[in-house]
Amino acid sequence: MRGAGPDITVTPIARDGQLLVSFDLSDGFTDEVRDAIQSGLSTTFSYDVELRRSATLFDRTMASVTVTATVRFDNLTRRYQMSRSFDGRVEDARPTDDRNAVKAWMTHFERIPVSATSALEVNGEYYVRVRAHTQPRTALFFWPWGGAVLGHAKFTFIQ
Amino acid sequence: MPATVTSISPRRTSGPGRPQPPPRRRPFRDSPKLILAGIAVLVGVLIALLAIANGTSRFSPDFLSEFVLYALSAADLTMLAALLFVLARNIIKLVVERRKALPFARFRAKLVALLLVMTFVPSVLVLIVGSELIRTSVDRWFNAPMEEILTSANKIASDYYHERQMLVSDHAARIARSLGAVDLSGTNVRPIRDLLAPDVTLQRVQLVEVYRVTLQAPAFGSLPNLEPVVDVAAPALPPGYSRAAADRLAAQALSSGSTTPGASETSSIESLGASGDLLHAAAVIRGKDGRPTGVVVATDYLTGELAVRSRSMSQAFEKYNQLRVLKRPLTGVYLSFFLGVTLMILVGATWMGVYMAKRITGPVQMLAAAAREIGAGRLDQRVEPQSHDEFGSLVEAFNSMASELASSRRKVERSTIELERKHLEVEGRRRYIETILERITTGVVSIDAAGTITMINSAASRLLTLNRQIIGQPAFAVFDRIDLQPIAKLVAGAGRAKDEAPAQEIAIARDGQELHLAVAATALAGDSGAPEGVVLVLDDVTPLIRAQKVAAWREVARRLAHEIKNPLTPIQLSAERLRKNFSGAPPHARALIEECTTTIVGEVESLKGLVDEFSQFARMPSPRTVPSDLAQLITDTIALYNGLFTDVSIEQRFAPGVPLVRLDPEQMRRVIINLVDNAIEAMERRGRIVVETQLDGANSLVRVVVADDGPGIPPAERDKLFLPYYSTKRRGSGLGLAIVRRIIAEHGGSIDVGDNVPRGTRFTIELPC
Repeated sequence: MRGAGPDITVTPIARDGQLLVSFDLSDGFTDEVRDAIQSGLSTTFSYDVELRRSATLFDRTMASVTVTATVRFDNLTRRYQMSRSFDGRVEDARPTDDRNAVKAWMTHFERIPVSATSALEVNGEYYVRVRAHTQPRTALFFWPWGGAVLGHAKFTFIQ
Repeated sequence: MPATVTSISPRRTSGPGRPQPPPRRRPFRDSPKLILAGIAVLVGVLIALLAIANGTSRFSPDFLSEFVLYALSAADLTMLAALLFVLARNIIKLVVERRKALPFARFRAKLVALLLVMTFVPSVLVLIVGSELIRTSVDRWFNAPMEEILTSANKIASDYYHERQMLVSDHAARIARSLGAVDLSGTNVRPIRDLLAPDVTLQRVQLVEVYRVTLQAPAFGSLPNLEPVVDVAAPALPPGYSRAAADRLAAQALSSGSTTPGASETSSIESLGASGDLLHAAAVIRGKDGRPTGVVVATDYLTGELAVRSRSMSQAFEKYNQLRVLKRPLTGVYLSFFLGVTLMILVGATWMGVYMAKRITGPVQMLAAAAREIGAGRLDQRVEPQSHDEFGSLVEAFNSMASELASSRRKVERSTIELERKHLEVEGRRRYIETILERITTGVVSIDAAGTITMINSAASRLLTLNRQIIGQPAFAVFDRIDLQPIAKLVAGAGRAKDEAPAQEIAIARDGQELHLAVAATALAGDSGAPEGVVLVLDDVTPLIRAQKVAAWREVARRLAHEIKNPLTPIQLSAERLRKNFSGAPPHARALIEECTTTIVGEVESLKGLVDEFSQFARMPSPRTVPSDLAQLITDTIALYNGLFTDVSIEQRFAPGVPLVRLDPEQMRRVIINLVDNAIEAMERRGRIVVETQLDGANSLVRVVVADDGPGIPPAERDKLFLPYYSTKRRGSGLGLAIVRRIIAEHGGSIDVGDNVPRGTRFTIELPC
């Protein structure tokens, strides 16, 4: 995920006492990622979802959750084995042979609970920052770091 | 290895109450242990890199790209930062040292630059060539034939699996359709088994499992319950088979078939490892009303060898593709290895180069700094040797030299102090002698072996009327003057004489007066007897000679007075007796006798007066001095002449501030009268006389001057003026000025005669005050 193309659309909503975050990584499923998946490499999209509040010097992280989506393609059976985990706990796993399903599986997330709304201040201004990066990375030699995609959305919590 | 010399320090002398400073610790970076540890770490890292590089073939590509590449990149960046730091630090240091013009800064900079160039050039060249080789090698991994072979092999295996999967799915669907009319809820499974048996017997499938949907209402959101009804398995199935995969697949098929009626079939592959693979396919059994009544799972079995080979082909293809996908990071891994080793060599070489340059120039810098300190006079500076090699020996030699210098300097200082003391002593003596020579009335003239006058004191200068500028001139030229030629002869004779010649009296004319000098010329000889010159000693014996003459004349006068005075009275009495006895003689005879006796008596009276003066000269009493006002004395004395000489004017000038002078007023009045009388006589009772006093405070003298404007006295006669019985007058005894000189001499003074300006004679009396 390099270049100016990839972007993350973040949509926070508060429902049933939970702050739920939906996000979608657009243009992140690049040819390089597809090649990596098709080569049979276990490919992971990792998202760090953080609820943050602005401050004078350093913004404060109110809550965070790490969501990962992993897919591995079996070239013999031509099937994708997908899984999702939240903070390291595997929550879902399923096979598929549909490439579009894989793309959606890896890049589209709906209503991820991040924090209880009781922790939020009424009329307080917050923002949700989502930082995504892939593994394996196909970065250039000598400076393999970086390449993360960032997206964020501000909101005012109104009860 | 060059010496380790780390510091210079002044060597302090220990004393009571003065704590010794702690010994300087060797800098941490110069610790051999640290150096060895650093080298060991570098070697260890190098070995680790080599081991990792050798093991890359065993690592998975993603491990290499995710872990090894990061670690290597971090290590490379760290070493690069260290290299840049070492280089920047030393470059800045060298620049600063050169700007400060520190010694050996230029040499050190050149040495470091040379070592760096010697290291950098080959290292960078090897890095460039090696990197290109790595890139080329990696590119060769992915050649077209290999890709085609692996892709084809994978396609064959995959297609085979896919076809077998499709067959099993078809069989499952067919069986599901055939079971649609069968009641699965019954307990009699025989009809079902009979229906399934041909598929298994004919090896269309290896296993058929039938599930029925239970009547229990499913909970919201959960899958419907399935219950195994019957299964028919071929005997060729491997013993590790279990129902779990078929159960999950059945549930999954029922779930997807319930929600999506079109998607009522699904499949899966269960790997049994080396025993082979099981290809499962599930199909939903639907009743006449289309509702799901059960699920059939058909399973085909791929033998172990076939499955393993297919899997191997697929894995080879995947590995190839993974390498291709991870080509850049993998290339980066190998380049990082290479770069790491190169950087390690560069860091080590740079550090070693800088270290070596420092170790080489350090001791020399220390010695140079210490030499400058010693040159500046701080001889207690020492360099601390910390090795026993050639540099250590050099440092020891330098310290020994410094110690010798310090010792010599102390000796020189002691000698200098002693010399200064002696010089002061000699200078004191010289000033003492010089003062004496300047103050004494004896004249001293020094002449060196070359005949050059080296010294003349004030007395000699005054006696010989020579100024100090004759110093440095040849003696024969100076004494070539007519009146000084006798001295020249004495000097010449002193140089030739073996014994010390006695003093000789010579007379020289000075200011028209004869000056009698007793001159002794003494030859100087050195320790070796070599002549070193002549010393002339001159004494003014003129007063002595005058005194001797006066004394002689006084003796003559005393005897003359005694011898003459005795017969005068009888002569006078006899003459008066004759005149008395012949008072009755004839007038002619009586007149003759009267005339003769009168003449005899008159001359006798005159002789008596002369004898009295002689007696007075011979028996002049000692002056009875009292503090007297000289001006008043002169005024009172001059007052005696008021109205006596109408054509003579006597002017008096008295200097202010003249103190009282101890003198005998009567004798001093006689002196003034004598001088004024002489002046009046010399002017033939017409002219101007000036009597004045002068104060010479510097010499504690009072001068009385009697000057006239008469005809003056020729210089040749001036010295004789003060001798007894010398007179320029037709009448007179010639004792006046002799008495005057004697009176003045007995008052401790002196009298001198000279020319008056513009004419006349000027007598000057000097009296101590």
